Amino acid sequence: MSVSAIRRLILTGLLIAIGIALSIANPTFLKLDNLMTMLQEASLTGIVAIGFTLILITAGIDMSIGAVIAITSMICVNFISYTQLPAYIYIPIALAAGCAIGWVNGFFITHFKLPEFIVTLATRGILAGLALIIAVKDEQGFVKNVFIEDPVFLSFGETVGPVYIVTIVFILLAIATQFFMKRTRAGTNIYASGANPTAARLSGINVDRTLIGVYMFSGFCAALSSIFLAARMMTAMPEFGIGNELDVIASVVIGGTPFTGGIGDIWGTIIGTLFIALIKNGILKLGLSPYIQPIVIGGIIIVTVVADVWYKHHAEKKATQAARRKAMESKEVGA
Amino acid sequence: MSNNVKSDLLLECRGIDKNYNGPQVLSKVDFSLRRGEIHALVGENGAGKSTLIKIVTGITNRNAGTIVFDGHDVPVEHNKNASEKLGIAVIYQELSLIHGMTVAQNIFLTKEPLLPGLPFIDIKKMNAMAQEMIEKYGFDLKATDIIDKLPIAQRQTVEILKALSNKASLMIMDEPTSSLTAKESERLFKIIRMLKAEGITVVYISHRMEEVYDLSDRVTVLRDGKLVSVLEGEEITPAEIIRLMIGRELTEDESHHKMVDKRDREVVLEVKNLSAEGKLNDVSFKLHKGEVLGFGGLVGSGRTELMRAIYGIDAFDAGEIMYLGKTYSPTVEKSIASGFGFVPEERRLQGIMGGISITGNIGIANLDSISSPAGFVSRDKELERTQTAISTLNIKPANPDHLVGNLSGGNQQKVVVGKWLIRDLKLLIVDEPTVGVDIGAKEEMYQTIDRLSREGVAVMVVSSDLPELTRLSDRIIVLRKGRIIKEFTEGVVTEEEVLRAASGIVEGGAK
Repeated sequence: MSVSAIRRLILTGLLIAIGIALSIANPTFLKLDNLMTMLQEASLTGIVAIGFTLILITAGIDMSIGAVIAITSMICVNFISYTQLPAYIYIPIALAAGCAIGWVNGFFITHFKLPEFIVTLATRGILAGLALIIAVKDEQGFVKNVFIEDPVFLSFGETVGPVYIVTIVFILLAIATQFFMKRTRAGTNIYASGANPTAARLSGINVDRTLIGVYMFSGFCAALSSIFLAARMMTAMPEFGIGNELDVIASVVIGGTPFTGGIGDIWGTIIGTLFIALIKNGILKLGLSPYIQPIVIGGIIIVTVVADVWYKHHAEKKATQAARRKAMESKEVGA
Repeated sequence: MSNNVKSDLLLECRGIDKNYNGPQVLSKVDFSLRRGEIHALVGENGAGKSTLIKIVTGITNRNAGTIVFDGHDVPVEHNKNASEKLGIAVIYQELSLIHGMTVAQNIFLTKEPLLPGLPFIDIKKMNAMAQEMIEKYGFDLKATDIIDKLPIAQRQTVEILKALSNKASLMIMDEPTSSLTAKESERLFKIIRMLKAEGITVVYISHRMEEVYDLSDRVTVLRDGKLVSVLEGEEITPAEIIRLMIGRELTEDESHHKMVDKRDREVVLEVKNLSAEGKLNDVSFKLHKGEVLGFGGLVGSGRTELMRAIYGIDAFDAGEIMYLGKTYSPTVEKSIASGFGFVPEERRLQGIMGGISITGNIGIANLDSISSPAGFVSRDKELERTQTAISTLNIKPANPDHLVGNLSGGNQQKVVVGKWLIRDLKLLIVDEPTVGVDIGAKEEMYQTIDRLSREGVAVMVVSSDLPELTRLSDRIIVLRKGRIIKEFTEGVVTEEEVLRAASGIVEGGAK
């Protein structure tokens, strides 16, 4: 069995075990309502995590995702407050803005050969500030909470049967992305560019264009998540999404996509997202302070990464030993 | 150039000149390949083999000369992609494969078969196509194997398949057997002959004379950037190739460095039956006070691994090291404290900190002697030591604040040596002391090593540069595949003898 399969089995087992423990500790956990809210939470993080998974597969990082969520929601609020444009016009504009931000990230990373972390950290700062500047203000100049009343916009926060629309979109996007990554040339190019950019270039892949595309997709995913978040809250604040990077990174890393590039897939990210959402929900259901959520998630990241490194080291050692033994044997035969 | 008739030459290079802003690496080299031949390209390190290949494949551009490939003139502004389109492929050891992908994905990267009318990859068809190629050549592979799990030998065959799927008519293999076992090498030779039978031209670069002898239809010998000779058929014998590679008519004085027997002196280091799995096999020797012990052998023969084990960088599995009569289990910290100095193989990677000044580089290995017990570094002492090193080694420019990364190769190497000289040095390990160092600095390096040995420092030198090895050493040990295959202790030793031993051609006393 492959490593990623074992990992998924362990995670799924943990998911079920924690679920059972929670339902014993607090019977309201198993209520359909709670489960669907949890899935909604997971989906909001998960949509961003899908884009982030692709970023990690290229061995990059995108620190700007939280700020993209903030600026997107502010763009929407501005359209709602100051224009009569219908939602089906300004929502695509907001999504396009997410893509545009991703393009800027990708352009600076590839064109000027800058480190991904620095570029996206810089855009994060710029966007977070811009979100505050363009936020709708009252007469004294303080940021005003705009209550969204546009029914088309609010419909994004609704359900089909018991399932939230965002959950359906998350699942469809996950399936489409997984298929794209595994079954198209463009997807293969993304893996290749992350695993070995030099070899990819020598094989005729336009690595720069591939990377820019991936950053655009990450921006798009963050923007999409932002729309669902605002629709769910029925308002938008310039702090939306700032700090969400932790949950997103945790979901992807737990799902088995390493920072080293070339490896990873969306299925792992889905499980990772569910895992984080369950932990967060569990902390609330156990009546613990919500402030310990980031502490627990940070701890989980460390544990996962340590286990990964340890396992990898162990596996490599075993593999080289086996290879050497084989080499020695055949040497003796040859000699 | 004939217009219609296909010439029987696949590649014809004439008068190739190349210099990298300074020393001439290639001058007026002619190199031609016939269709469907196996052609060996040989020469000592630095003879210009790699540069010639880089020019043919478009990784670097020539300064002068013409290249005609398959009837097409190749422009000076050549590049890797263009050469691939022409059908030139280089088989690297593993460089150009994508980890985490299957064999089939690697072979068909960017040209994956698609489902009819759709932009989706037809994975079944891709695997079947790859499997078909694999079976055609009888490789020991599955199309769905993940690259990471394959040993190097099989990764190489994937590279070959990839080149075949690109319809390559010329395959260049640079030291393809350096990390293969004897059996794996045999298999590779079979594959090479199969390629030849298909009409593919193979350029084979190797230091292993017996392979060149067995395989090649023709051999081109380069020396110091010039074409020496092209051998064909009967003319190809290992001894002749080695003679041509070494070549220059040496004076008695130059070629025959007299060994000096210093084995009656105090033993500084004794290595007993040292073994490390896959690297070293039962290595034993003694090193004496003031002795320069040279280590010869091919790349990958275990020389560097031996030095690293003694210095305490890598662990070993069995055996014992005695230092000054006592059992010694090395760690880097202990080695430095006991008076070892280590000049590593890869200067830029392991020797210097390029962004730091000469003072900083020298200070870092001597922090024990320049800092107070509380741990504060004395800048005055640091500067004083650095000035000493600069003046004894003639480091240029003699400016302690100069960044080491901006120094010439020779002066960088002096800084690396300088780190150790200002200590109470007892044992110096030097791995490839003069790679990328100009001739003047080379001579200074030799004099430094001579001087140290006169002062009683025991020195171990690893070098692939044979004149250097014979020039410096009082005694030479030749390693092959992790074992000591020969030791030259007295009289005179010629480069030819060392190279023969390293290639496994040993008269009589092979171990």
